[in-house]
Formats: sequence, C-alpha cells, structure tokens
Amino acid sequence: MTDFKQLRLNRRAFMGGVMGASILGTTSALGAATPAGARAVAFTGSGAVAIGDAFLTSEDGGASWRQGARPDRKLVALATHPERPNRLIVALEDGGVAVSHNEGKRLVPAGRGLPATEIGALATAARLPDTLYAAIPGDGLWRSEDAGESWDFVMDRPFIAGEERDVLSLASVDLASGMGGIWLYGGSTGGLQRVPDCFCRWQDVQPEHALDALIEGATAPDTVPLPSGEPVRALISSPAAPNRLWAALPSGIWATADAGLIWGKANSLVATTLASEPTNPDTLIAASPEGLWHSRDAGLTWATSTIL
Amino acid sequence: MSEGHPAKGSEGRRVAGLLAAATLAATSASGAATGSPVEVTFLGAPSSAETIATGEVLYAEHCAACHGENREGQPDWRRRLDTGRMPAPPQDGSGHSFTHSDAHLFAMTKSGIEAVVPGYESDMPAFEDILGDAEIIAILSFVKANWPEAKRIFQAGLPGMDKGTSGQ
Repeated sequence: MTDFKQLRLNRRAFMGGVMGASILGTTSALGAATPAGARAVAFTGSGAVAIGDAFLTSEDGGASWRQGARPDRKLVALATHPERPNRLIVALEDGGVAVSHNEGKRLVPAGRGLPATEIGALATAARLPDTLYAAIPGDGLWRSEDAGESWDFVMDRPFIAGEERDVLSLASVDLASGMGGIWLYGGSTGGLQRVPDCFCRWQDVQPEHALDALIEGATAPDTVPLPSGEPVRALISSPAAPNRLWAALPSGIWATADAGLIWGKANSLVATTLASEPTNPDTLIAASPEGLWHSRDAGLTWATSTIL
Repeated sequence: MSEGHPAKGSEGRRVAGLLAAATLAATSASGAATGSPVEVTFLGAPSSAETIATGEVLYAEHCAACHGENREGQPDWRRRLDTGRMPAPPQDGSGHSFTHSDAHLFAMTKSGIEAVVPGYESDMPAFEDILGDAEIIAILSFVKANWPEAKRIFQAGLPGMDKGTSGQ
C-alpha cells in the first residue's frame, strides 16, 4: 500500500505521477465478462456486492463475481459500513430504502419520512454506522440516524454557478471539519462541494477547517480542482486514509491525496460507481457501462472483472 | 456564490486583529459585571448578567427581524430562497450556530459570512458599521445564554474555544 504522506512525496510530484500513469489504461481478463447495468458497488464483511440489473457478490475484492439472488425490486444505490459487516442499506427504484442484515438475502422496507422519489446518492457516515445520508434530485439532502428507518430533511442542494445542482454522489470523509464533526462531500451535476455534518452550508473545498481560511491568515496552498463542467457521478473516500478520494467523471477517474485540494486524473476509465476496500486504499472496484472492474494500485490501472 | 477562494494573508490578519480586539472587549465587558458570574462565556471571558440583558435588547433591535423574535429562524430555513441564498437559521440551539466557535460567530457577525467562508453569499450583512465589538459580544452572549446547556457544552469543546481565539 502506498501512503504518500508517509513517503513524504511532494503532492505535485505524486499527482504528476498519477497523470503519467493514466496512460497505462485498462486490461481485459480471460474469463467471462460481468453483466452490464451495475448501479452501485460496495465492500461488505465477506467481500463485495454489486447491485443494479443483477445482484452480484465477490469474495476476492471484486476480481471475480457470482450471481446472487435477484431482489424483487430493482436497487439503485447502496451503502455499507465496516462496523456493520453484514448490513446493506439499498435505495429502491422509484423511491424509498430497504435494509438487509444478511448481505442482501432478505430486504426489509424502511425509509419513513423520505419523499416517494428515487434517491440519487446514498452514503453512510464514516464515524456513525447508523447514520445515513441520501440525496434526492430536485429536493436536497436527507439524514437518518437509525440505520435508515426514519429520515429528516437536513440541507438544500449545492448552489453552483447560479443554480441549485443535484447531488449525484456522496462521501462521508472522516476528517474534522473544525465544527465538531466531519465533512460530507457531494459530487453534483455542477462539480464538487462539501458541507460540514452540522449542515450549515455547502462550500468549495478549501484548506484547513471550514471557517478558518481568513482568520488564520496563512498563505493558502495551491489548489487544482476537478475539471469544471463535468458531473461527479461517483465519489469515494478511503476509510483507511480519508485524505484519499476518487471521483468518477465522464473524463475518467480522478484522485486526490489531500482531501480534494489537488486532483489528478488517475485513469480514463469511464466509471459510474466506485468503492474502496475499507482497510486498503489501493484496492478499488468500479462499474462502467461495460461491466465491473478492479484496481490494485489505487486506480492507476484497472482490469476487467469476471463472472464465475 | 459558492466559488470559494483561498485565504488571503492580509485579510486573515485583519480578521485576526478584529478577534484580538473582541477579546479585549469581552474582558472589559466581564470586568463591568456587577452580579455574580454566570456560566455563559464568550471568547474565554464570562458574560455577565448585565451583558446578557444588554444583548437581549440589541438582539430584538438588530437580529430578530430575520432570526426571529424567539430566535426560531425563518420558516423552512433549511431550504434555499428563490435568490439561491439560505434563510436565516435559528439561534435557539436548534440550528447550527452552536457548531461555530465564539471567534467564528464574532467574525461572521462583525465582518459578514464571507469573511470566514470566502465567496459565500448571504443576506446577513456585516455589522461592523452598525454595532460595536462589545455590542456584538453582548448579543452573542445573550444567544448563547439561551441555548440548551447540551449545546453550550458541545460548543465549548470545539477547536479554538479553549484559546478564545480562532478555530485552530
């Protein structure tokens, strides 16, 4: 596993390396291809799951997959947490959520208080396994503090370049906001913003804590944001190294090692969803319109996954 | 809006200077207290009953029109106005004010939200030409005095609260 801070690598040097590595591209496996149509992927206690048109499970970090029992409703988003290894919380097509305590074998409807509208993004709070966030297009951000049973509206959508933007991806990032909690990052149709989990305001990623930039008076470090004008379809933070995030854009997969101050393109894979193995930031899985992929080098190179 | 910019050193020093001045003002206000100290503090100094009473009057005059007579905030305050700006949140402990340190509350009130969140647009004006430092501290002391105790305890644990300065 590569820890850029431990190695004391210059961030620019790291990101330059990342950008150079993107030419390595992707490789195909010899086995049968995984089915297309995965809407979300996540790591669980026993491996990983992929949901969407099919329900797939993996026991080898996403390199190979098996067909699981197909739920009676289509699933569109997925949230897990390392401290709840057997629990899946899923968003349902046409609205609502359901909870499984046996990795998807049985889904129990939940979601009291949520509008009857399909959820656009779902995430578990990094430090609070029973707290979840759901972003609803055209509406805003909802929170559950009882593992998905009941929900409350907590925040409107980000306001970027003169209009409200739908949140397409959410990542609870285990870094102190300076306001008694941590950050919730939101990837929207108009770019990336983040909000402290006290939900005072969406804001751009800036150095240090939420409100200290000016008060500290320090020289601000350089920032290299994600490319403007691209939707952020997927967004993840490594539970083991929260400063490291990955974002899936139409232009490819982008990575940061400093919580979003400096981004660089890691690979041109056009992914629609991502997941990070909780203990190893180098191990990622992704879905693209063609099927499932896995990376063992923090997203620099990707190999197609196979179906068993 | 929402196009944040990195901190600028000169502006940062300006705000830091304001905070230093506010700390002195808070100390002065505390020294003027005639009654026994109350549990409410601001920027590390106890807020006297007199200061809190002054703050209540000033709150009604300068803040209640937006934040509510009973500090309840504007209706539906979690959803944006048509302008794209957020409504005034509650100040009764049910909003998010208690997640801001004293230094941040003072800076936002005196210099505007944009002073601490660059690029952020808000309907709340900067009060530096309307209220003096001691008056701002009195208002915020009154607001804090009426938070539930659990919220005051939470706020007391925020970064920077032990120093009475910024959040770092």
